[in-house]
Amino acid sequence: MISTTLAVLLGKAIGASTKKLNLGGGSAAPGLYALKLDPNLILNLTKSIQTNIVITGTNGKTTTARMLAHIAQKSGIKTIRNHTGSNLERGIASTLISGFGKKYELGIWELDEAAFNTVAPKLNPKIIVFLNAFRDQLDRYGEVDAVVENWCQTLKTLKRDTLVVVNGDDANTAKLKACFGGKVVMFGLEKNKLKGEKTSQKINGKVDIKAKNLKQNKFDTLCFNLDIKKQSVLAKLNFSGTYNVYNALAAIISASYLNISPQISVKYLQDVTPAFGRFEKLTINSKVCFIFLIKNPTGATEVFKTVSSQLKEKDSLLIALNDNLADGTDVSWIWDANFEIFRNSSRVQSREYTIYASGSRAQDLAVRIKYAGFKPEAITVENELNKALQQAAREKKGRLFIFPTYTAMLRLQKILAKSGIKKHYWEED
Amino acid sequence: MKNELSIVIGYLYGDLMNIYGDTGNIIALKKRAEWRGIEVSVKNISIKDSLKPRQVDLYFFGGGQDQSQNLVAKDLKSKGNVIKQEVDRGVPLLSICGGYQLLAQYYKPHEGPKLKGIGLFQAYTEAGSNRMIGNIVVESMFGKLVGFENHSGKTYLKPEAKPLGKVIKGFGNNGEDHTEGCIYKNAIGCYMHGSLLPKNPYLADWLIKKALETKYGKEVELEPLDNTLELQAQQKTIQRFG
Repeated sequence: MISTTLAVLLGKAIGASTKKLNLGGGSAAPGLYALKLDPNLILNLTKSIQTNIVITGTNGKTTTARMLAHIAQKSGIKTIRNHTGSNLERGIASTLISGFGKKYELGIWELDEAAFNTVAPKLNPKIIVFLNAFRDQLDRYGEVDAVVENWCQTLKTLKRDTLVVVNGDDANTAKLKACFGGKVVMFGLEKNKLKGEKTSQKINGKVDIKAKNLKQNKFDTLCFNLDIKKQSVLAKLNFSGTYNVYNALAAIISASYLNISPQISVKYLQDVTPAFGRFEKLTINSKVCFIFLIKNPTGATEVFKTVSSQLKEKDSLLIALNDNLADGTDVSWIWDANFEIFRNSSRVQSREYTIYASGSRAQDLAVRIKYAGFKPEAITVENELNKALQQAAREKKGRLFIFPTYTAMLRLQKILAKSGIKKHYWEED
Repeated sequence: MKNELSIVIGYLYGDLMNIYGDTGNIIALKKRAEWRGIEVSVKNISIKDSLKPRQVDLYFFGGGQDQSQNLVAKDLKSKGNVIKQEVDRGVPLLSICGGYQLLAQYYKPHEGPKLKGIGLFQAYTEAGSNRMIGNIVVESMFGKLVGFENHSGKTYLKPEAKPLGKVIKGFGNNGEDHTEGCIYKNAIGCYMHGSLLPKNPYLADWLIKKALETKYGKEVELEPLDNTLELQAQQKTIQRFG
């Protein structure tokens, strides 16, 4: 424990200096160095937390964690979570260091798909949520089959009294049921199910908890019914897109095993707004802007689907594709994302629309957009995000829809914070 | 030549072998043909589908996950002869990564028996211990080609086989001999994802031209297209990584 305390002190010192020197939010560096001093840091610091919940999957981790944390905190449960989306071991360690000395009843941990296998066992989780498994950053994670197989092997080593909550509509996560000897709850939708990866396998096993009567009301709200623990409840969300129904289901089910009734959960869920960059609304020079994080083909396609149905003639799009490690250095994935969806919206007939392609791979993106059926004249290529944003915000009419990849989103947040439009992301919940 | 020409693209195991954005190659071929008024249809040729000569004017075969690759290797035995005959007739083919490996002689994994290929390319692949991942730039008869490679298999060409090009940046076939890919008649195998064809329009056009020439038995000149965006993307990649 002495080394743990030392590691915490070191981490705290690093955290304080990175913030002071304006190097970032201190969401990774403190943990990184503290772990070198005490590799068992996570095991040691989470022992005192009564219940730990782990959330993993390709898409929706941050949103699900945010929903669940809100429900828990509103219900009076003292909660700690890695809220900046820093979801490798160092991110968890950094969160634990910053919360050191305080008492928590619940830890909500979103874990990177690969980090899951080494970190989840150290967290001794009571509940594990698997949201989905799609192709994502193949240069880093490897192929989807391999990711799921590793999860399966990890599950086999975990205690039988762990509750495993899986998306039953995704064939990849549904097959995890067979890997675990303990209790597994499967959730899904009655209709309009997500289109998962093409796999050679069929889904086995039935879905236990289903969302029904899904309605997308306006652009940014949706509602659905669900029957859970012999109760029928109506959930209303400030989110759009079917993928968020899965996230909400996972949160409600997890909360129900923390003895929070579904009625209470849906009540609190109404107040939850999307996490930073995951569908965010703001105003730049009186222009209404929306930000949607895109990371991989399935997530991007879902987001494009949601947005294209709402696009109006004068709106414009800014897409920013980076190829840093956290984005995936391989940008081939843009060819698996359905940019063609935008052609189905009314704006294609408009002559005034412009699409801005930005980020370190703006040129690749421009080609993708051209081959999705847009005229080259409609595409403006500008690698520097700051400049692209300035140009796009200058257009007088219409709204601006911004789609950044992960590091482009962080850069965007910095640009916005610098210009006083919004707070730094690490200051948000 | 407008409105008279048509091609059928045969997407070999497109439902199983479509990883790393390889479908982008189909999109590029289709668009570039359509922009010239050439009618295009894409036919997915998968497990248990029959394959006959002259059904397809241009073949594409992408990469896949290990599990899919095993299934495909078994099924490919029944289609191998037709593919080889067609390539000998001049039908163009592009194969990438897993597709390339399965069209060569064999793949030797770390453990277990060799996975037999159809032997179109005089090359073989052995499992390697390190994954070769990153941007790749190659000098070829089509000029510089750019892509992104991600493979652990090391492919070695037999003396009679001709490489697609010389590696300027990246690993290529095996990370040892600076060769990348293989070309036999109008058939190409390589490790370049990216997607390859959208950023390398001359190669895309060469495949379309060869498809038309073989189908119609005469020389074809393709109408030039505006390649500004495509070549910008290629140049940018060469600048940054080449």
